Amino acid sequence: MNAQMKPPVAPSASSPLDKEPALAHLAEPSTPNAAASDAMIEVRGLSKLYNGVAALSDVTLSVGKGEFVTLLGPSGSGKSTLLNLISGMTTPTAGKILINGTDATTLPTNQRGLGMVFQNYALMPHMTVFQNIAFPLQVRKIGKDEIRQRVMDVLKLIQLEHVADRRPRELSGGQQQRISLARCIVYNPPLILMDEPLGALDKKLREGMQLEIKRLHADLGVTMLYVTHDQDEALTMSDRIVLMRGGKIEQQGTPEALYFKPQTVFSADFIGSSNLFPGKLSKDKGGLMLRCAAGAFDVPAADGAFVAGSAAVLLVRPENIMVETPADASGRQQIAATLKDTVVLGGIVRHFLETPAGEQIIAQELNQPNRARLMRGDAVKVSWRVDDGRLLPAERA
Amino acid sequence: MTRPLRTAAVFFVPVVAWACYLFLLLPSVIVFPISFGTGGEFEFPPRAFSLELYRQFFTDAAWWGAMTQSLMIALMTALATTVLGLPAAYALQRASLPGAGLINGFIMGPLLVPVIVLGLGLYLQFAPWNLLNRDVSLFLSHTMLAVPFMMISVGASLRHLDPTLENAALIMGASKPAIFFKVVLPQLKAGIAAGALFAFLISFDEVIVAYFVTGPETQTLPVKMYSAMRWELSPVIAAASTLVTVFSILLAIGIMMLQRKEKQQ
Repeated sequence: MNAQMKPPVAPSASSPLDKEPALAHLAEPSTPNAAASDAMIEVRGLSKLYNGVAALSDVTLSVGKGEFVTLLGPSGSGKSTLLNLISGMTTPTAGKILINGTDATTLPTNQRGLGMVFQNYALMPHMTVFQNIAFPLQVRKIGKDEIRQRVMDVLKLIQLEHVADRRPRELSGGQQQRISLARCIVYNPPLILMDEPLGALDKKLREGMQLEIKRLHADLGVTMLYVTHDQDEALTMSDRIVLMRGGKIEQQGTPEALYFKPQTVFSADFIGSSNLFPGKLSKDKGGLMLRCAAGAFDVPAADGAFVAGSAAVLLVRPENIMVETPADASGRQQIAATLKDTVVLGGIVRHFLETPAGEQIIAQELNQPNRARLMRGDAVKVSWRVDDGRLLPAERA
Repeated sequence: MTRPLRTAAVFFVPVVAWACYLFLLLPSVIVFPISFGTGGEFEFPPRAFSLELYRQFFTDAAWWGAMTQSLMIALMTALATTVLGLPAAYALQRASLPGAGLINGFIMGPLLVPVIVLGLGLYLQFAPWNLLNRDVSLFLSHTMLAVPFMMISVGASLRHLDPTLENAALIMGASKPAIFFKVVLPQLKAGIAAGALFAFLISFDEVIVAYFVTGPETQTLPVKMYSAMRWELSPVIAAASTLVTVFSILLAIGIMMLQRKEKQQ
C-alpha cells in the first residue's frame, strides 16, 4: 500500500465523527513529521534485509515523547524487526534511527538507555526478585542504600513488596511480568519497548495487566512502544496504532481512526471484524452504486479515487448491520439472507448469515433478553445505513 | 508378539540384562576383596583380611608419589580445561563466528582420533622439544583430551540458557563482561562443575598418552599400575585399583548430581 492509494476519507457531512468536535482528532492520524525535539523515536527510511529478503522496507515513523504507540500486525509483518532495530539487537541495512534527538543507528544496545519488557519476562532465574530489580541500578553504579530505596519503591508501586526475597520461578506469570515491568521502570528509561508482554498470560490476567500498563504509562509519562498481534490489546491501550504488513506501514492513526476509517481492505479486515463486499462501481442517478454478488448497493459519497467502472470493496461493520424479519421492511437498503447461526457473547449477540449468492455476513447487536430470538434457518432481511458503509480500494493480487 | 513369546521375553530379558551387568561389573569388583588380603600375593578369595596392601601403597614413595602426581596433573587439567573450554563453548554458541563449525570440529577432534595415535603423535612432537618426562607435556596432552568434554558439558547448559536474558541485560545497560560474569556464569555453574569433574576424571584415568609422554619421574598412577602389572605383579595394585575405582565412582556420582540439579532448574 503506498501513496497513490490515498485514503478515501469521506468528507460526507453526515459522518457521525465530523459532527462531534471532541472526536475530530480521531479523523486523521497524528502527523508523522513532528519536530525532532518532540520525538522520542525518529525512524527514517529504515530497511532490514535478511539474506536478501526484506523484513522491513523503507519505514519512516515518528513517536512523540510520552506517546503510547503500538506496532500491530500479523507475524512476519516486520513489527518485531522494527523493535529489534530500535533496541539495537539488530543493525539496519539502510536508514536512520534517532532516539531522543541523537543518532542511535549504530549505537551499541547497552548505550541506548532503553527499557524493554519481554514476552517470556526474561527475569534472571538465579537472582531473587530484589536482585533482579536491583540489577540495572548496579549496572549504573548506584549506591547500595539508594538501590534498596528505589527497588522497594517500585515494588510498592506494583504492590509486590512481599515477594522481594523470592525467586522468579516461585511467582505466577502475571507476577513475573509485573516484576519485569518494575525492573524496567526502576531506572527511569525515557523509552520502554514491549514485545508482546502479555502474550503468555491468560485472558483475564491480560486485561488486568493492560490497565496496569496504561496506568504506569499515564503516571510516569514515559514513551512506550508496544508490539502485539492482538488487535483488541492495540485498540485498548494505544494512543496511536501503527498497523504493519509485509515489512511496511499499512496505516497509522488513533485506534478510532483505524477502526472507523480504515484505508485498505487489510486494515479493515485486521482490526475489528468486518463484512466486505467486493464489486464494481457504477454511476447511478446522483451518486455511485456498487454491484456485487449480493446485489447493488448505494455507497457513501467518496473522493475522486473512486470512479464508475473501477473495482472497489464496501465495508460494513457487523454492529452496523440490522437483522429483521421481512415484515419489518422499512426504507433502508436491504438484502435477503438466511440465518445460519447465532452466538451469544454475554451482552452481545452475533448472527452469522448467508445471502442467496452464498456470501457470508456477520451482524452484531446488543443482547436484549426480552426480545424474540431469530431461529436458525429463518429468512431475514439484512440492512444498514448507507453512511455506515465505507468504500475501500480493491486489493491488488 | 504372541503370548508365549511375550512370557519368554518377560523372563529372559532381565536374566540377560543381569548377566551383562555382572560380566561388566565383576572384573572391577573382584579387586575389592583381593585388596583387603594379607599381602605377598594375589589371593581370591583372601584367606584373611587386612589393610596391609593399603599400608604398602601409602608408604611406598613410588605408589604414593604416582598418586599425588596423578592428582596434581588432574587438578591442573581440570582448571585449564575450564579456563579454555568455557569461553570457547560460549563463543561458539553465541557469537556468529565465521567457520564456527570448523573450529568446533577442530576442538572436538581428539575425541575422534584413536588415543594410541594421539599418544604416538604427542610423543614424536614432544621428543625433539625435549619435553618428554616433564609435567608440562602431560598437562598439555591431558588438557587437549579433556577440553572436548568441557565443551559438551557447558554447551548442554548453554543450550538451556535463554538468550533473551543476555539481551535483557544488554538493553538494561550491562557491559559484555558484566553480562558474562553476572548473568551467564552463575547459570552455568553446574555445567562447568560437571565438565571440570569430567576433565579431572579423564586425566586421572588416562594411561595411554601418559605412558608415551611420562618418564620415571613423572609417572602417574595408571602408568605405575600398568608397569607394576608388567614387571612386578605386586598385589598392591589391587589396593591401587580399589582406590582409583572408589574415587572415580565418587566423582561420577558428583557429576550425576550436578546434572540432575541443573535439570531441576
